[in-house]
Amino acid sequence: MSLLRLQKLTKTFGGLVAVADLELAVEEGEILAMIGPNGAGKSTTFNLISGLLAPDEGTIVFDGRDVTGLPPNVRAHLGIGRTFQVMQPFHDMTVRENVMVGELFGHSVPKTLRAAQRDAEEICRLVGLEHLMGRDVLGLGVADLKRLEIARALATHPRLLLLDEVMAGLTPTEAQQAIAVIRAIRDRGVTVLLIDHVMSSVRDLAERVAVLNFGRKIAEGTFEQVARDPAVIEAYLGVEGGTAH
Amino acid sequence: MTSRVALRWVASAAVLAAAVAFPFWASRAEPYYLQIAINVVIFAVLALSWDLLARTGQLSLAHAAFYGLGAYTSALLTLRSGLPVPAGILLGGLLAVVVAGGLGILTLRLRGIYFAIATLAFSETLRVTTNQLRFTGAATGLVVPPLLGGGRVAQYLVILGILLLVIAISAFVNRSRWRYAVTAVRANDEVAATMGVNVVQVKVAAFMVSAFFAGITGAYYGHVFLFISPIEVYSLAVSVGALVAPIFGGLYTTAGPVIGAAVLRVGEEILRTTIRSGYLIIYGLILAVVILYMPRGLAGVWDALWRRRA
Repeated sequence: MSLLRLQKLTKTFGGLVAVADLELAVEEGEILAMIGPNGAGKSTTFNLISGLLAPDEGTIVFDGRDVTGLPPNVRAHLGIGRTFQVMQPFHDMTVRENVMVGELFGHSVPKTLRAAQRDAEEICRLVGLEHLMGRDVLGLGVADLKRLEIARALATHPRLLLLDEVMAGLTPTEAQQAIAVIRAIRDRGVTVLLIDHVMSSVRDLAERVAVLNFGRKIAEGTFEQVARDPAVIEAYLGVEGGTAH
Repeated sequence: MTSRVALRWVASAAVLAAAVAFPFWASRAEPYYLQIAINVVIFAVLALSWDLLARTGQLSLAHAAFYGLGAYTSALLTLRSGLPVPAGILLGGLLAVVVAGGLGILTLRLRGIYFAIATLAFSETLRVTTNQLRFTGAATGLVVPPLLGGGRVAQYLVILGILLLVIAISAFVNRSRWRYAVTAVRANDEVAATMGVNVVQVKVAAFMVSAFFAGITGAYYGHVFLFISPIEVYSLAVSVGALVAPIFGGLYTTAGPVIGAAVLRVGEEILRTTIRSGYLIIYGLILAVVILYMPRGLAGVWDALWRRRA
């Protein structure tokens, strides 16, 4: 059984169709990448899965349960964690405290502050933030903010982790570190669904790739398979004689 | 760090002892001081309860609404149905809680300036309506029965007790898991929600607790100063006063709003009695300078001084 199944998911904003009839299955334990040109509906899909947006039509089934109508905090409790493309650290809090929010509220079993702090520190070490735990989030660099995004999502102990462009803006070295971190997360039993534009990272990391264009899934398979798919090439490069994106 | 904690405990105990002893001295030495002290404590309760909501990122101008609702509820209940004054005050607070629950859910999606405007509109609507209703004494207002037979010392101790209760709640919020929830909601409620924080619960609960204290304080005010009118209890000055003190003293802290309220109210009184005319200009200037040059208020200055020493 798939951990996550999107069935005929549709979301429109006014006249704009952001996601159309989207069908997608994420298998337990895999790393699946969702790629596509800008405006393809990838981030909207993440918002639908995490519950920040409600679909016009279709259902979202997580772990065999229809979660379509559930609020985001309940979905977090069930095991859906996510990062944000635009990094949004909580101000007035240290790095450690940012992560503690997930430890304290991300699951249904209440934790003491002490236990939450201990577990948050362990997550900071996992993503390579241990030297910054006491720091205020103001003044953190891009790579560390990306790490913090991942750490906060991990602190909710997700079964499914949605990573929204965590590689964007990283140097090649930092991207390699991020890939290692994401692999380590998966090896701990977390299923990963990621959005990314950095194709080398997608190639190195993802076992399967789904390609979206204008809100529809136009291809799915291994990186090599979709890279050869004419529909994908057309979506990225435009048809000869047609208009490029 | 430990010396700082110890100092804080000693200072708190000393302030508490002085606050409790004060009315017994003042009632003999200078009853006028006792009146000011009651005003200071009322102001402190309003400021700290306003800050409790502000910690979730909601800038409310509805404190006057709940203050007025509490004042009118208790006044009418005690006048018309002969309810004892303490019960009236409590019911005034409870009505404010119920109304805040409804208003909180309706305004849930509004943030920042939009929330402020909605809450201001709500306050003004209540003021204008109360001004028209014969049932509430319209613009003339109501003469209200005294709390505890009018004994000033006992009345002072009542509001001091209420202040201690808000202080306890505020300190609890800032030391418990709830600090993480409110701070996260204030920074970004969507991110907080995806991390498992029940944003609706946090915002509405904060609104209700905040409104409760505005409500009982308004009710208390009526039964201590024995007269209420729409223009007085539903005044924008109540809402603005409640937000100026935390900004002046230090937002999102327990001590900041209380100290801010005390310094501002006593300072205003000193200015009023020493400068014959135009004291409000000086008062306004001082406020402006503090807010411009001390963005974290008095608490921020205090923190900076300690950091420099350490």
